[in-house]
Amino acid sequence: MNAKTRRLTVEIFRFNPQDPDATPGTECYEIDESPYMTLYIVLTRIREEMDASLQFDFSCRSAICGSCGMLVNGRPMLACRTLTASLPQHIRLYPLPVFELVGDLSVDTGRWFRNMVQQVEGWIHERAPFDPDAQEERMSDDESLAIYESDRCIECGCCVASCGVANLKPGFAGPAGLNRMARFMMDPRDARDDEAWFDVVSNEDGVFGCIGMMACHDVCPKELPLLEVYAYLRRKTLAAGFR
Amino acid sequence: MVKQSEPPQARQQLVYELVSGLSGIALAIFMWGHMILVGSILTGERGFNWLAGTLEDLYIAQPTVIGVIALFLAHAVFASRKIPAQLRERRQLRDLAKGLGQSGKGWPNVAGAPAFSPHVESMLWIWQVRTGMVIVVLGSFHLVLMGLDVFTPLFGERIGIEAATTLERVRGGLWPLYAILLLCVEFHASVGLYRFAIKWGAGARLKRSVLHRIEQLLFWAILVFGVITLAVLAGWLEPPLAFLLGDNT
Repeated sequence: MNAKTRRLTVEIFRFNPQDPDATPGTECYEIDESPYMTLYIVLTRIREEMDASLQFDFSCRSAICGSCGMLVNGRPMLACRTLTASLPQHIRLYPLPVFELVGDLSVDTGRWFRNMVQQVEGWIHERAPFDPDAQEERMSDDESLAIYESDRCIECGCCVASCGVANLKPGFAGPAGLNRMARFMMDPRDARDDEAWFDVVSNEDGVFGCIGMMACHDVCPKELPLLEVYAYLRRKTLAAGFR
Repeated sequence: MVKQSEPPQARQQLVYELVSGLSGIALAIFMWGHMILVGSILTGERGFNWLAGTLEDLYIAQPTVIGVIALFLAHAVFASRKIPAQLRERRQLRDLAKGLGQSGKGWPNVAGAPAFSPHVESMLWIWQVRTGMVIVVLGSFHLVLMGLDVFTPLFGERIGIEAATTLERVRGGLWPLYAILLLCVEFHASVGLYRFAIKWGAGARLKRSVLHRIEQLLFWAILVFGVITLAVLAGWLEPPLAFLLGDNT
């Protein structure tokens, strides 16, 4: 085993936007690989043993909080579920693009997602005022499973960072936003009909902003069927546009 | 809620998307038919002349030329609307696509399989823009040339396409231009169809990897056929199917 132990070179983007004297650059750290090592372990060890000033986000360490998205050798991934064994010896870590940089590898995905949710109104528009005493409305298994599939999004921002359009156009709802639209379009409790959705979906900030690079689908850590979601939205626009 | 767009605009956007996609499909289908028609040169000049003459006598060629020019312009206008205008933005897209495309290279396999599947589609999009721009330039030239050949007596002895003048043009120095155009068109058409299929949901019936294979198969099959045809037109290769029409061509 020992003969196989690699010494990893981890090149990390360093920049603190709060520091007026700081300039963006990278710094390299050398670390011995250990069995089942994840990037979470690598970064924690670097911060504890080599550089206490290193900034990065973590919370759950089990790919459900969506905090640790970062560019690993150019590909957006969750650091906590990425084994170093699946990476080359030289590992480049950059913060996700699109989002505002907090510092080093830490970005503010929250603000982007808040704006997106407001844009697509990603919440249930009630048909009638909520009655706490009434029995819950029923939903078919198929409907609830389809909604659940879209709802598995953890808002890590990997899809957004990999999206060419989201990188260039701040108004674009992005992969996560399109997924959010589909999620509420499918929901029978939502009051918005196809006609109302047509305005939101059928424009350049909606599904027709997508240029079909397909990276979002490939990088999604939760393996959401994003390409099918967009096809669903497109077909819905056909139905609404030519009724 | 701040309205994103008024209803007519939503319908307009849908129409734009459909025009760009459907004109692309129509052009791709035309290009394959076109490849077969030009491929008639593989049977020799006689076969080529007969086919060209017949299509012109039946007035199939003339409206087709006009229709293709219209489709070509429509596709150029509507498909290009998503290309970023600023060079800085294009660089940003290219760097992103390059990073994603190369990210899987040199990654060790875990348990015998690559940990992350390679991602090529972002770079394919970049190349689709590049080939599209080349096609706009070289394709326009070709369309003007063919328009003149079909509608005027400028080339050859009669109004219409003839093998002799076609061969003369290609041999006379246009072959590099046609080689580039061939490569760009076949790439652009197969990748465009693949993307269109994914966008509108063919992935639900066929796996994406299967669609990708079909795209590659179409690209290579038609490219090889096109290269052989071009080689005959350029005079490097005797028409290999000349025996079909007898010896004297």
